[in-house]
Amino acid sequence: MFDYNNILTISVYGSAIALILIGIYAVLIKKNLIKIVIGMSIVDAGIHLLFVAIGYISNGTAPIFSPGNEGRVLDMVDPVPQALVLTAIVIGFATTAVALALVIRLYKHHGSASVDNIKALKW
Amino acid sequence: MIITPVHYIAVPLLAAFLIPLLAKLHKELVRIVPGLVFLYFLIISATLMQQLPETGTISEVIAGWSAPWGINLVFSPFSGFLASLMSFIGFLAWLYSYRFKKVDFAQSQKYFILLMMLVTGSIGIVLTGDIFNLFVFLEIVAISSYSLTSFYSGRDSAEAAFKQLLIGSFASAFILLGILILYTQTGTLNMADLATKVHLIAPSVKISILVLFLVGFGIEAEMFPLNGWAPDVYSQAPGPIGSVFAGVVVKAGIYALIRVLYTIFDVPEITHLLIILGVVTMIIAEVAALRQDNLKRMLAYSSIGQMGVVLIAFGIGTNTAIFAALFLMFNHAIIKSMLFFSSSYLLYNSTTKAIAHLTGIAKKMPFVAFIFALGAFAIVGLPPFSGFWSKLYLLMAAADQKMLLLIGTILVISVVEIIYYFRVIGKLYYGKEENNIEIQKPSINGYVVMGVLGAIIIVVGVYPDLVTGIIQNAADALSDKSTYIQSVITENIVR
Repeated sequence: MFDYNNILTISVYGSAIALILIGIYAVLIKKNLIKIVIGMSIVDAGIHLLFVAIGYISNGTAPIFSPGNEGRVLDMVDPVPQALVLTAIVIGFATTAVALALVIRLYKHHGSASVDNIKALKW
Repeated sequence: MIITPVHYIAVPLLAAFLIPLLAKLHKELVRIVPGLVFLYFLIISATLMQQLPETGTISEVIAGWSAPWGINLVFSPFSGFLASLMSFIGFLAWLYSYRFKKVDFAQSQKYFILLMMLVTGSIGIVLTGDIFNLFVFLEIVAISSYSLTSFYSGRDSAEAAFKQLLIGSFASAFILLGILILYTQTGTLNMADLATKVHLIAPSVKISILVLFLVGFGIEAEMFPLNGWAPDVYSQAPGPIGSVFAGVVVKAGIYALIRVLYTIFDVPEITHLLIILGVVTMIIAEVAALRQDNLKRMLAYSSIGQMGVVLIAFGIGTNTAIFAALFLMFNHAIIKSMLFFSSSYLLYNSTTKAIAHLTGIAKKMPFVAFIFALGAFAIVGLPPFSGFWSKLYLLMAAADQKMLLLIGTILVISVVEIIYYFRVIGKLYYGKEENNIEIQKPSINGYVVMGVLGAIIIVVGVYPDLVTGIIQNAADALSDKSTYIQSVITENIVR
């Protein structure tokens, strides 16, 4: 019943999905631009956690054929999602940096960081 | 030196890294080096396209890891056609913006590096054979386009860029989730390998992956209702960047969508969805264009409408229809970038970019007004310009499938297009001349770029056979999935 691995799996996947939902909530509901950018980062973090979670094997080993580990191929953690998540983190970092630079520009231009005050462009 | 597809990616990345260093030697190198890179793109395209009939689809392995494990670049007739088109538009955009507005040194350094990265990322999307690599290139395009949109600080450009960033980061989140689910189901990221393994995925999971990709790439391809960013971005970005968005970036978005739908997922039902999405996109965009009083926004909505037409053509899905779709993409790249180039000069000193500002300007700027009118005639599909042929092929493809309602809708929407383009031309030529308008004489580069594009429109209109051969090869390559898979995954793989 209280299997350690089950609890771990459910909590990791659950928290990844919860992070994505929290991020989407922040982007959709919050009025402050900084909070919207934070929401975007949280969505990214959720997806990254999901990526790491799919490659995880409990009691697994690093995917390196080191001495003494040659026979444990099936226990090895999948390295591809980890490589992908590293790339995705870098991309997310760049996007956040550009977003924050734009927020500074918007704040200087409009004197406010609230979405309600920035509506020069309409549909 | 042997020219291979990887030069498309490696050379501009190296140049972008070196430009700030070269700028210390001579300031003008900041402008010249990107032009040399674009020229090299054209050389690569010409060489590879010439080799293509002999070698067949070129699949290049990167860093010694063969196809399903490593990243590979695929230069098929389809990818090659789009890559050459993008190189050409990128080169013209560089030539046009070489002296476009006297921006100072630091700004021009940013501008030209970002322009180069924008085109490189789009070419990367078209060439790559790995779906995660495609995502990375998409992000290169996205980040450089956010920065370019907000290039002028005097306008509301930061707002447009922030909107684009917000929508774009959702797009990338959706695509990333789609790749994640695809990887958990098949254990591979190579697109050719995915195409052979996609039948292993349960139908319900397949649908969710498809929806994630459709939304993600649909945002880049300006598909309704995901195109809210486009009019703002087109109206706020620097003029030549508008042409690059219409001629290069959107094409890359369409390519990604079509590659995923046609090569990876071979779902026949999706084609009807594409037709419906295309029709809705076309109708909403063209009607929205009708009520714009800002010229750039009008062109942006027209661009969205054209992308709707391309989606319809891909949705019909026969070989003739794919041919028509690629011809439409070619024409849209040429004509819409010409319209953006010429409208930038028409609106040079206007802060509002309003159509009302243009009354009688044709007498002061006869060449630019003529180029604009030529583009407008071509894009609505009047003979003898190139736009006529692509529309004709599309209608013929639809007629083959007995889609009479669709033909009627496209024709009615063409009338709407004619109305709003001719309203502008009427203002240009027959409006009362206002004397207090300050005009900007185009630079020599501007004349050359607009003249070249105008000549292409007329020449292709008179002799469509000049391009139909290449486009037909591209269409065949897209519909022939097994050749693509075979050329990527060679027989030396042990399973």
